[in-house]
Amino acid sequence: MANVLVELSNAMVAATEKAGASTVLVNARRRMSASGVVYAADLVLTADHVVEQEEGITVTLSDGSMLGAKLAGRDPGSDLALLRLERPAGKPAEIAPEPKIGQLVLALGRPSTEGIEASLGVVSAVGGPVRTPRGMLDRYIRTDTTPYPGFSGGPLVDSEGRVAGLNTSGFGYGAALTIPAGLAWSVAAQLEKNGSVQRGYLGIRSQSVEISAAAQKALKREQAAGLVIIGVENESPAEAGGMMVGDILVGIEAHPIQDHDELFARLAGDAVGKSIAVEILRGGKQETLKVKVGVRP
Amino acid sequence: MNLTAMFENALDDLMKRIRGMLVVVNNEHQGAGAGVLAGDGLVLTNNHVAGDGHALEVTLDDGGPYKAKVIKRKVDADLALLQISDHGHAGAIFSTQEPRPGEMVFAYGHPWGQRNVLTGGVLSAVTTARTRRGELTILRSDVQLAPGNSGGPLLNAAGEVLGLNAMILGGDQSVAIPASVIREFLAEAHKNMPRSKAAEDVL
Repeated sequence: MANVLVELSNAMVAATEKAGASTVLVNARRRMSASGVVYAADLVLTADHVVEQEEGITVTLSDGSMLGAKLAGRDPGSDLALLRLERPAGKPAEIAPEPKIGQLVLALGRPSTEGIEASLGVVSAVGGPVRTPRGMLDRYIRTDTTPYPGFSGGPLVDSEGRVAGLNTSGFGYGAALTIPAGLAWSVAAQLEKNGSVQRGYLGIRSQSVEISAAAQKALKREQAAGLVIIGVENESPAEAGGMMVGDILVGIEAHPIQDHDELFARLAGDAVGKSIAVEILRGGKQETLKVKVGVRP
Repeated sequence: MNLTAMFENALDDLMKRIRGMLVVVNNEHQGAGAGVLAGDGLVLTNNHVAGDGHALEVTLDDGGPYKAKVIKRKVDADLALLQISDHGHAGAIFSTQEPRPGEMVFAYGHPWGQRNVLTGGVLSAVTTARTRRGELTILRSDVQLAPGNSGGPLLNAAGEVLGLNAMILGGDQSVAIPASVIREFLAEAHKNMPRSKAAEDVL
């Protein structure tokens, strides 16, 4: 290797060019253009908060061609919107595995027709779920890249030019967050199908508790924690299914539930409208209730 | 050798190569900025660092201070060329490559008066700034600049000068004047310069 700095620099340019080919300019509000990522040849994923109009949306691809676009769906909770191009002309992005803390990343954007823009950083944190001003984000990535104006909707890119997530400053907190690619792509698939994302709802308030050794014996498995029900909403799916304050929720559809993250995960996606098996501990005994999952208001 | 050690060695080499090109430019009224040696006793800096041109002094990494006078300015690009009496130092290499977004860059200067500080980042964008006299191509980077970086070089990974840092143009953004504009400015300066002493001797 001639000069490791030059090699690394060239590798970062190559990553920028590769992911830049799938990074587009999105014009869907009056003030400031934003960015987007090509999800499929005719679909562009962007940040929901940059789409302020449904008429006259345009998208400029990396080759400079400008296309009309229509809103195909939006999910304010995760700040994602899907746009359908007037014809399939985009180059879909390649997605990366979930990045690790400390990993080198580039934030890209195309806020103007002057070309791709980049900033460098590392992954500072990966976490979630986190409450957002308009809902819930199941998972997030935080980086120390510079969120330039117009970067919302643009990709966070790994050293190989693959998309690790979508950057947005739409959640406030005075900082930008990144929606992980795995989550963003699954939201995009639901937006493509339904135009919106439905999230499951039981109507309980709960908190994590330890499960005693005796109760674990009743469960016939080792499980250190569950969720004790501290409130049941009136006329909720949980009430209809017979869930009561004091029950300890320990499983859903044969998957152990130990904390809120696991519960959210089980209620996401296609759980809405289905009757699911909810495993509880009541008075130290294991019981299974049938609960029909509602839609989170 | 592992990659981190290779990286550190490469940074060491880079520092050795660029060390001599950076100077301190002192201006009686506005304090200190940075500058880059451009050969033949020429020093390139920002116009706002040169100020009104009175009582200018240039300190090299290994000598000085020297009295300096302004021989050319390009106000809209915030460039100034100074002349000092010491002709013995080689000039920096000004990159002829197209700047590429995503490439590694280093700012070399004296942020907050601290001498010879290297800060890193990437080239963010090649963009256009509007000035009173028209449009000017500028480089934006995510390198943190501070007062004292003005007039110092923005370097690529090979240690060539990609631009001259001039944070005054961009407000809170790190902005540099690209090497292409600098090379044009130097060429104009050379055209109007009296023939050097050495050349006269040959005649």
